[in-house]
Amino acid sequence: MVRSDIIRGHLDSIILRLFLEKDRYGYEISQEISLRTDNRFQIKEATLYAVFQRLEKRELIEAYYGDVSHGGKRKYYRITTLGKAYLKELVSEWTEVKEIINLFMEGLE
Amino acid sequence: MMKMKNHIDELFKDIPSNNETEMVKQEIMQNLEEKVFYLMEHGKEEDDAINKAIVEFGDIEELKKELGVKQPEKKNMAKLNLEFSIWGSSLIIVFFIFINFYYTPDTIWAIYPIFTILWWPLSMYFVWSRKQ
Repeated sequence: MVRSDIIRGHLDSIILRLFLEKDRYGYEISQEISLRTDNRFQIKEATLYAVFQRLEKRELIEAYYGDVSHGGKRKYYRITTLGKAYLKELVSEWTEVKEIINLFMEGLE
Repeated sequence: MMKMKNHIDELFKDIPSNNETEMVKQEIMQNLEEKVFYLMEHGKEEDDAINKAIVEFGDIEELKKELGVKQPEKKNMAKLNLEFSIWGSSLIIVFFIFINFYYTPDTIWAIYPIFTILWWPLSMYFVWSRKQ
């Protein structure tokens, strides 16, 4: 498992990306992250809901109640227009950061 | 499922209960239940599944911060203490100088109490500078 503090700063991007594809609920997000990274990175639930709170407060995502499943109504989130714009910004920022870090990290292994 | 609910209640006990936090709590409960059901469908015993869900939940501190639970913070009194000591000691010093020159202008004895009183702002300055 990769050190989570390095990924921490990019959780917003990861989660916004997953919401960009379709509306999802909490557990679906954590499942999807584990699945796509082949369990190399697992998000803690506590962290996940903290991110949801933050994104929702900044109006990057919005919540609504969906279908009923085991025990209760699922709370779904969808990405807002603001969220999409923000994600776009994060992506270009990441490209930049990646290039810079690669200048120093590449070719050493 | 009671065990799960108790655990979540325990985690939320420092968080003031209001509409927002109740919603988050319910959301977390719902999603954890879903996780437990998922794990059970994949062949885990109920107890195992609940334990796994609880262990993987992680540290609630971050969520607390987002929900705006204020950490009790100590007010920094050092600066106030320093200011007070400076004002207080200057008043006392002025007082001694006045008495000295008004009543006994020929003997300068005021330096002795002034030296003593200067320890007050000096020690407060020390406390303040150490906290910087």
